[in-house]
This record gives sequence, C-alpha cells and structure tokens, in this order.
Amino acid sequence: MQISTFDPQSPQAHGIASLFVFTLAVCAVIFILVTGLVFYCAYRYGSWSQYVEPPANFGNQKLEITWTVIPLLILLVLFGLTWTTMSAVDPPPASQPDVVITGRQWWWDVEYPRSGAVTANEVHLPVGRNFSIRVQSGDVIHDFWVPQLGRKMDAVPGLQRHIWINVDQPGTYLGACAEYCGAQHAWMRFRVIGDPIEKFDSWQKHEAEPARSSLGGQAELGAQRFQELTCVNCHAIRGTGAKEHIGPDLTHMASRKMLAAERLTNTPEHLSKWLKNPGAVKPGTKMPNLQLAEADITSLTAYLESLQ
Amino acid sequence: MSDIPFSPAAPLPMPVSGGRLWLGLLSWVSAVDHKQIAILYLLTTTFFFIIGGLEALLMRLQLAWPGLPFLDPGMYNQIFTMHGTTMVFLVVVPALLGFATYMVPLMIGASDMAFPRLNALSFWLLLFGGLLLYFSFIAGGAPAAGWFSYAPLSEKPYSSQTGLDYWALGLLGVGVGTVAAGLNLIVTIFALRTPGQSIRKVPLFVWMVLVNSFLIIAALPALNASLVMLLIDRQLNAHFFTQLGGGSPVLWQHYFWSFGHPEVYIMVLPAFGIISEVIPVFSRKPIFGYGFVAASTVAIALLSLGVWAHHMFALGLGHAWDLAFGASSMLIAVPTGVKIFNWIATMWGGTIRFTTSMLFAMGFLITFTIGGLSGVTFAVVPIDWQVTDTYYVVAHMHYVLFGGTLFAMFAGVYYWFPKMTGRLLSEPIGILHFGLTFIGFNLTFFIQHFLGLAGMPRRVYTYPDFPWWAAMNLTSTIGAFVLGLSVLVFLANWAVSLRNGQVAGENPWGGWTLEWATTSPPPVHNFDRVPPVRSRRPLWDLAHPENPDWRHGQ
Amino acid sequence: MQMEKSKMIMAWFLASEAAFFGFLILAYIYYRNAISSGPTAKSSLDPSVTAIYTVLLIASSGTVWIAQNKLKANRRSDFRGWLLVTVALGAIFLVGQGLEYARLLRHDVTISRNLFGSSFFTLTGFHGLHVLIGLAMLTTMLGMAWFSSIGSKEWIAFESIALYWHFVDVVWIVIFSIIYLGALL
Ligand code: HEA
Ligand code: HEA
Ligand code: HEC
Ligand code: CUA
Ligand SMILES: [Cu+2]
Repeated sequence: MQISTFDPQSPQAHGIASLFVFTLAVCAVIFILVTGLVFYCAYRYGSWSQYVEPPANFGNQKLEITWTVIPLLILLVLFGLTWTTMSAVDPPPASQPDVVITGRQWWWDVEYPRSGAVTANEVHLPVGRNFSIRVQSGDVIHDFWVPQLGRKMDAVPGLQRHIWINVDQPGTYLGACAEYCGAQHAWMRFRVIGDPIEKFDSWQKHEAEPARSSLGGQAELGAQRFQELTCVNCHAIRGTGAKEHIGPDLTHMASRKMLAAERLTNTPEHLSKWLKNPGAVKPGTKMPNLQLAEADITSLTAYLESLQ
Repeated sequence: MSDIPFSPAAPLPMPVSGGRLWLGLLSWVSAVDHKQIAILYLLTTTFFFIIGGLEALLMRLQLAWPGLPFLDPGMYNQIFTMHGTTMVFLVVVPALLGFATYMVPLMIGASDMAFPRLNALSFWLLLFGGLLLYFSFIAGGAPAAGWFSYAPLSEKPYSSQTGLDYWALGLLGVGVGTVAAGLNLIVTIFALRTPGQSIRKVPLFVWMVLVNSFLIIAALPALNASLVMLLIDRQLNAHFFTQLGGGSPVLWQHYFWSFGHPEVYIMVLPAFGIISEVIPVFSRKPIFGYGFVAASTVAIALLSLGVWAHHMFALGLGHAWDLAFGASSMLIAVPTGVKIFNWIATMWGGTIRFTTSMLFAMGFLITFTIGGLSGVTFAVVPIDWQVTDTYYVVAHMHYVLFGGTLFAMFAGVYYWFPKMTGRLLSEPIGILHFGLTFIGFNLTFFIQHFLGLAGMPRRVYTYPDFPWWAAMNLTSTIGAFVLGLSVLVFLANWAVSLRNGQVAGENPWGGWTLEWATTSPPPVHNFDRVPPVRSRRPLWDLAHPENPDWRHGQ
Repeated sequence: MQMEKSKMIMAWFLASEAAFFGFLILAYIYYRNAISSGPTAKSSLDPSVTAIYTVLLIASSGTVWIAQNKLKANRRSDFRGWLLVTVALGAIFLVGQGLEYARLLRHDVTISRNLFGSSFFTLTGFHGLHVLIGLAMLTTMLGMAWFSSIGSKEWIAFESIALYWHFVDVVWIVIFSIIYLGALL
C-alpha cells in the first residue's frame, strides 16, 4: 500500500507527476548553476589572509539582459506545460456526478446518487473508467486528496467542486483531508478502493440495499438498543427508523475496513473502545461520550459488526 | 584592525547601567531616539523569536514519531497557529523594521527619523499587540485557526473561544504600528537625506526599505479590513465570511491573501537590502548593477500585489484564474533572479573575506534559491494541486523565511552589531553559529519536501505509521534541536562579545556607507559632521581621492 | 522642511486609508449582488435626504479651503469664522448619519440582519468614525485659534488636517455614489 505522489496510479496523477519531474530537472539545473557559481567565487576569489583591493566593476548591461531573458524563456516553457497539463488532468465536470463526497468535521460522507448507496470514509471506484466526483462541505473548508490519484480539491461550504479520477489498477489508495479544519484535521483520512467494474457494481448494489434485519442474539438486542439510545439522533441505518445524517451512515458499516476516518481498524474490540469513549480515541470528535453501559456496548457492537 | 584607537564612544546603549537601573529603564520606556527604539525592536523580536522557536520545538517533539501523546490536538493546533503568527508578525517584520529604524537615518546622514515619537508609538503598538496575542493563552485558549485563519473555521460557530478575538485585536495593533513605521520611513527617506545624496545614490538597503515601506502601506490595509470584518462577524453576529445568507468564505481568502502575499515580500525585501550591503563590503567591490538591483525591487513589489490567488489554487477557482496567477507568480522569479545574479557578479573578481556575516550571506544565496525554486514549482499550477497544504509548502516557506530572511538578518547582525554596541561579535563563535545553523536548518527542512511529496498534510498533530514517515519526521526533529543549539550559541556570542568583544572603532569592516562615518555606537545626534556625498560610496571617495566613484558616474 | 514632512506623511497615510476604504467598498459591492433576502439599499435608504447631507459635507470641504486661505492671508477672525462653519457642517453631517442609523434600526435593519446591513454599517460606520476624528482635530484647531495664538507649527498642522478633511469628503462622494445612487439604479 503506497500513498506517495511518487507512485501515481491514474492518468491524472501521471500527468502531474511527469510535469513535476520535468520542472524539478529545470530547477535542479538552475540550482546547480547558482550554487556552483557561489562555490567557484569562494574558491577563486576567497582571501583568507592579506588582500588586495580588487578593481571596481559597476555593472554590465549585456549580462543583465542575458539573465533576464533566459529565465523568461525558461518560464515561458514552464507556463506552456502548465497550461496543457492543466486541461489534461482537470477537464470540465460531468453534468451528473457519479459520487458526491461531503466533508464534515471530521469524516467524509460518500453518496452515490445514481444508486442511492451511502457510506463513509471509503470511496469505491471502478477501475479504468472516468469517474466523476463532486466535492462539497457540510461545515468548514476541507480538502479531498488522494496523492496517488491526482489533484486535491477544496470542499467549500456553499460551493460544489468537481474532479475526475480514473484508477489504473485495482487496489487501495489512501487519502486525507488536506485543508486545516479544526481539532481532528489529522484524523480526517479516508481510502479509495479501485475495483474491477463487476466487483464495483455488485458492491454498489449491495451498499444501496437497506440494512439486514434477520439478526439474532446480542445483535437483535443491539438493534433494539440502537433505536432506544440517542444513536438515532445522529446516525442513519437504512431500513430502520434511524435517518439522521449528522454522523456517518451505518447501514453497512461492518463492510468498511476502518473506523472513525481511518483512526482504527474496524474490529469488534476497536468498535467497543470507540463506543465506550469516542473522545479518548479521537480527541475533539463530534460524537459525544454517551456513557453507555457495558451491556449496551456489547450488544451494539454485535449489532453494528453484523451490518455487512 | 587592532591598530584602530579606542574611540571615546558613548556608553553601550543597554538598559543595565548598574545602580541607576531604574533611571536606565525609564530612559528606555520614554526613548524616542531611533537607535534606542531600534534596539527595543530587536530585543523584543529576539524574545518573540525564542518563544516562537520553543513552540516549534514543541511541535517537532510531538511529530518526532507517529502517535506520540505529548500534545493533544487542541494544544498542537494552538501552538502551530501561535508559531506562525509569532514568527511572521512579531519576529520577521518587526525585526526588519528594527534594522531599518537603526540604519536608515545613519545611512542617509540624518540625526533621527522624521517623526521620533511616532517611531516610539510604532514600537509600543507592536509590543502591546504581541502581548495581547499571548494573553489569549491565559484568557481561555490561544487562537487555533492557523496563521491565515480561514473562515468559516475562524468564525464563532466553529471557534467559539476568545482566542481568535485576541488574534484579530492583537494583529490590528501590530498592523497599525507597522503602517505607522512604514509611513515614518518613507518620509524619513524622502525628506532627510543629506545634501548630495539623491534618491538614486542611497545605499541599496535604504532603497529596499523604501520600496518595502510602500508595500506596507499598500498591503496592510487589506489585513486591517479583513480583521475588522472578522471581528464584526464574531462580535456583532454579521455574516461576511460564513456561508449563511450569501456570505463568502472565499472572500476571506481573497482579502487575506491580497495582504498575505505582499506580506511575504515585506518579509524579504529589507533582507535583500542587507545582502546588498554585506556582499559588496566583504567582496571589496561595489555592487554590480546597482540600477538593476534597485529596479528589480520595484518590479517585485509591483508584481507581488498581483499574485495572491496562488495560495488558493486548491480552491478550484477555475483554470483562467489559476493560469493568470500562475503566470504572475512565475514572473516574480525573473527580478529575483536578477538580484541573485548581480550578487554573484559582485563577488566575481572580488577579494572575498569569509567573515561570519559573509558566510551567512553566501548561505543565503544557496538556501534562498532552493526556496525560490520550490516557489516556482507551485506556480506550475498542477504541481501545486498535488503539493499544496503539505509539508512541501512548510519546506518552501522555511527555506525562504529562515534560509532567506533569517540568514540575511544574521548576516546583518554580525555586520552591524559593532556599530550598535561598539564591539565586534566573536568570529570563532560566529563561525560555529553559522555551521550549526546551516546544518540544522537543512536537516530540519530539506527532508520536509519529501514528506510532503510522500503525502503528509501540514497542520496535523500526528500521523499514521506509513513507510519512511517516522524516519523523515525524526530527522526533521533532530535538525530542529540542532537549530535550537545554534540559537543558544548565537545568544552566547552576544553575551560574551558585549563584555569581551574586540572594540570596533568607527569602521571595522571598511564599509563605504555613511553609518561607518561616525562612532560606534553613534552619539545621540548621530554625526558631528556628515561627510560629503557625491556617489553611492562616500567613504570610498573619501579614502580614494585619486579614484572616486563619482568619476565613474556612480 | 518641517511642513513638507507632516504634509507628506499625511498624504501617504491617506493613500493607505484609501486602500482600506477600497476593501470595504469592494466588499459592499460584492455583497450587494449576493444578498438573498431581507433589506437592501433600495428598500431601506432614502437617497434624497442623504443627498442634502452630502452637499453639506462637500460644502465643508470648500469652507475649510477658504479658512486655509484666510489663515494664509493672516486674517485670524475670518479664519475662525470659516473654521466654525466647517465644524458645524461636519457636525450636521454626523447628526444626519445618526438620524439615518436610528431610522434604520427602528426598521430592524441592523449590522447582523443581513449582508446589506453588515456591509452598509461597516462602511458608513468607518467613514463616520473618520469624520468624527476630523471634527475632533478641527475643533482642537478652533479652540487654539480662539484661546491662544496660531503659530507656524499649528499652521502646518492645519494644512494636514485640511488635507485629511478633503479626503474624508472624497471618500464620502464615492460611498454616496455607490450605495445611494447605486440604490436608484
Ligand atoms: C520570504 C518570504 C517568501 C518569498 C520570498 C517567497 C517567494 C516565492 N513564493 Fe512563496 N510562500 C511564502 C513565503 C515566501 N515565498 C510563505 C510563508 C508561504 C506559505 C503561506 C502559508 O500557506 O502558510 C508561501 C507559499 C507560496 C505559494 C502557495 C503554496 C500553497 O500553499 O499551495 C506559492 C504559489 O505559487 C508561492 C510562490 C512563490 C514564488 C513563485 C516565489 C518567488 O518570489 C521566488 C523567486 C526566486 C527564485 C525563483 C530563485 C532565484 C531565481 C533565479 C536563480 C532565476 C532563475 C529561475 C528560474 C528561471 C525559475 N509561495
Ligand atoms: C520566519 C518565520 C519562521 C521561522 C523562523 C520558523 C522557524 C521554525 N519553524 Fe516554522 N512556520 C512558520 C514560520 C517560521 N518558522 C509559519 C508562517 C508556519 C505556518 C503556520 C501555520 O500553518 O499557520 C510555520 C509552521 C511550521 C511547521 C508546520 C506545522 C504544521 O503545519 O503542523 C513546522 C513543523 O516542523 C515548523 C517548524 C519550525 C522550526 C523547527 C523552526 C526553527 O527554525 C526554530 C528555531 C528556533 C529555535 C529552536 C529557538 C531556540 C531557542 C532556544 C533553544 C532558546 C533557549 C531558551 C532560552 C534562552 C530561555 N514551522
Ligand atoms: C451527537 C451526534 C452523535 C450521536 C448521538 C452518536 N454518534 Fe456515532 N458518530 C457521530 C459522528 C459525528 C461520528 C464521526 C466521528 C469521527 O469520525 O470523527 C460518529 C461515528 C460513529 C461510528 C464510526 C463510523 C465509521 O464508519 O467510522 C460508529 C460506529 C458510531 N458513531 C456509532 C454510534 C452509536 C452506536 C451511537 C449511540 C450509542 C452513536 N454513534 C451516537 C455522531 C454521533
Ligand atoms: Cu477536514 Cu482537514
Ligand atoms: Cu504568495
């Protein structure tokens, strides 16, 4: 699992990476020139003991023109490449997005408007297709960024932004909120999962369905407690009475790899830990410590972990 | 140098004059002499630099390894906000003003600033603004929205504590003081030059301070207006920058950066000025291409007013905006390059003396170029889309601010300390200071480029244990502590040299500008007699009547 | 030399102030197009009344100029008279602004009501503050002219104050055109 911009995995990221390598090479040449000249002067004209007054030289117009014009030409080239790369990696948006991503303090709401699938902190994409992503915000400014897949885009309250991603090959690509957004900006991470189209389709179909209702034992009890406790004030579980969208949709939360925006892996122990005191896991989080009884935690965990 | 007789100079202008301590202190509180005010500026900024630096060390400790429990996110966020705000507003800008307040009147042969009492007011506004800002720590929490406090995070619903109000009020105070200082410097330079010193004959430091002052009075109003609007939002429930009812978080960014970008050049132009004094003197040659160095300063200042949106590329303003601001940002590389090449050409064919001051100036040429070049990579917009808001940006800004401005200011301190105190700083300690700074600095910040490219966002209080991240962060932290050590060495050098340093005499470096034509430190009225000025290097002309500069049309 | 300095610093100070007002004016224009509901300039201002006060403020720029000339001609009592007229005109302008504010507040147009309120009160409020400061300076001059003599130092100060007053006046003309005349469009 890589995360770095050095390992681009989409045409968008490739375009930027090669532009970067080229620019870096240009800068390296300039840097070596400047440093070389400084060291040469130090070596050639340095005086450690006595010194002679060197002849004065007040300037030279031709030289001035040279070192004005050459940088200008270099920049002209860079500007041209900027322009072409920009249009290539960030074309105009589609009329309808394939997925709508809403940044909230401090998690990501992920909705697929075509199918009605909703999840959080985990974006599934089909491999080899241009996928259209709308980025928006529910509170302050966030920024959607997957280094291996292309440009970052701010999520600005009141505005809708857009990017395209076309994943080269199946895999998991880690992303993060890149615009400072308050206490838990550090743990507002997410992942993008590129799947072959069939796998993606079946995932989406499953994710759009309501939560399973044939439960047993602890899970049955947990489902009941979930409706009785304050959970429903913030969370939605489709197929039940829980409809609020203040926190992540939990309809299929057991199918997700991670908890609380990549803070923890999604295991029953971690989930219990989270429910016991979210603030201890992720200080500052908007989910309050609900002082749940041990028994409630057990049953809620069983319930939520059964929501495949 | 040892043959220079001890000059019957005025006593050291330090507020510790034994039994009459109180009187001494009083004379500092009521000081209006530009040299005293300047010393106050420089001591205050040193103090804030230590605070800001200690904050940086706290951050680096927390980031040394993934998942450290040292600072909780609330505290970390306050600390990085205060670090940035302190370094920008309470260290770099006022320290440069301090240099200007001390040197400009001397360099133009004046006896004081044009408005001595206004000068004092500027300083006190800075101090009280700074204290107000720091008072927030006691008053329920420091601001925690970053040094550019993006709305709506900085608005009441998301930052309900008073920290941001102190931030805005403190900066308003500092901002007004800075404008006053800028105005004062403009009038001083226009109205008080000694006869014969036309505006095209002033030392380049004076010239760059002049341009800088214009930039201050042009750019600071944008900050003041933004702060006022933010305060009205927070205190009177308006909605300028929240998305409610048509308010616009984007407008905050436009307003802040139309101040914020010129501000970064306000933080570097006088530093360019220092370099333009130090390199010629220690290369024993006049500056190469005076006219071009001077004109490029004006070009930079003008361009800097038209590049602000390059801080907003990730906002998706549209390709036309991005391209326009990418182009204008790239253009700034040209006049800046002109300066770099002229400084190198000044060294070329000279006789270079490797004093600490010169070492810092040469270090500046290298590190600032790195920072400038990474700046150009942002102007190549798609690259910025990847690296903005990552440690790559943190690396850029420290290369230009520390590797640029602070290196230049260190060069300036070693160069002018003898003038200000009458004694030279120790060269051996100085060279140690330079070595530690250069190594520590590059160790801390070079690796941050890679951290950013490897995907680490800035302003995170901790990070997952990804491959290499821990090692790179640890390296950076070690570098920061080396830097801390270098600062201690620097302060030790002051302490040692103030007492035992070599006595400087009037002109220890063989400088050519007017500040070297009076005692060290200068008397209250600065000059008993100002030498005649017929060229840019009056003291050269005085020493070389057979070959004065003015004969070469300088 | 002395005179040059204080006029020079005032001039550059005003340039900086112009930038400050520029940003507030830009904000007003920007938000004018963004208001979704609530009062607007059109619905809540009365340009014709304000026009009268505007004329008075412009007139005060003229009277201060006359006062300056009287002082130059060393006609002290004329100077005092014209200065008094200036102060009076400025004060009337401020009263007018106060009355307008009171009327708006009665109709629940406040700084927190909507963006029109916010940007209108911020802009005109800061202008009013500048008028107030100008009045304070002019009144001080008046007091000095009455009770002590005007020396060359005060004369220099007066030059700068007059400059300031003209500036405040010009800013108002811009504000009036954009807010009040803009409301007629
Ligand atoms: C001293 C302060 C200083 C200086 C001088 C600069 C100089 C430059 N800066 Fe920097 N900048 C900052 C301080 C400064 N910056 C800070 C503090 C931030 C971060 C703010 C924040 O987000 O917190 C920032 C951020 C920043 C960004 C936004 C990044 C982001 O957040 O995404 C950009 C984007 O364009 C940028 C560009 C530039 C450019 C093009 C220059 C140019 O002026 C550089 C010109 C110099 C050279 C290029 C080197 C010498 C030239 C030559 C040797 C000639 C040949 C060169 C070529 C042909 C290329 N800077
Ligand atoms: C000129 C400006 C300046 C300077 C000099 C520095 C100096 C340093 N900076 Fe800073 N920095 C900024 C300007 C500056 N910075 C800005 C504008 C930001 C952005 C803030 C934001 O995002 O809002 C930033 C952000 C920033 C970050 C990113 C934080 C984040 O995004 O989460 C980091 C992290 O490593 C950092 C580190 C450092 C370090 C290690 C130093 C070191 O160089 C410090 C060296 C100094 C010392 C170590 C002091 C040592 C003193 C002593 C040891 C004294 C001993 C005590 C006594 C004598 C009593 N800085
Ligand atoms: C006041 C609102 C609120 C209440 C009440 C609340 N939550 Fe949450 N919950 C949130 C928020 C916000 C998050 C996202 C936290 C984060 O990642 O920072 C969250 C996250 C979660 C997660 C992790 C989801 C994921 O995929 O990462 C689970 C599980 C969860 N809540 C379960 C519960 C249960 C069970 C209850 C009731 C006992 C409950 N919540 C009550 C707001 C709430
Ligand atoms: Cu969301 Cu940072
Ligand atoms: Cu900038």
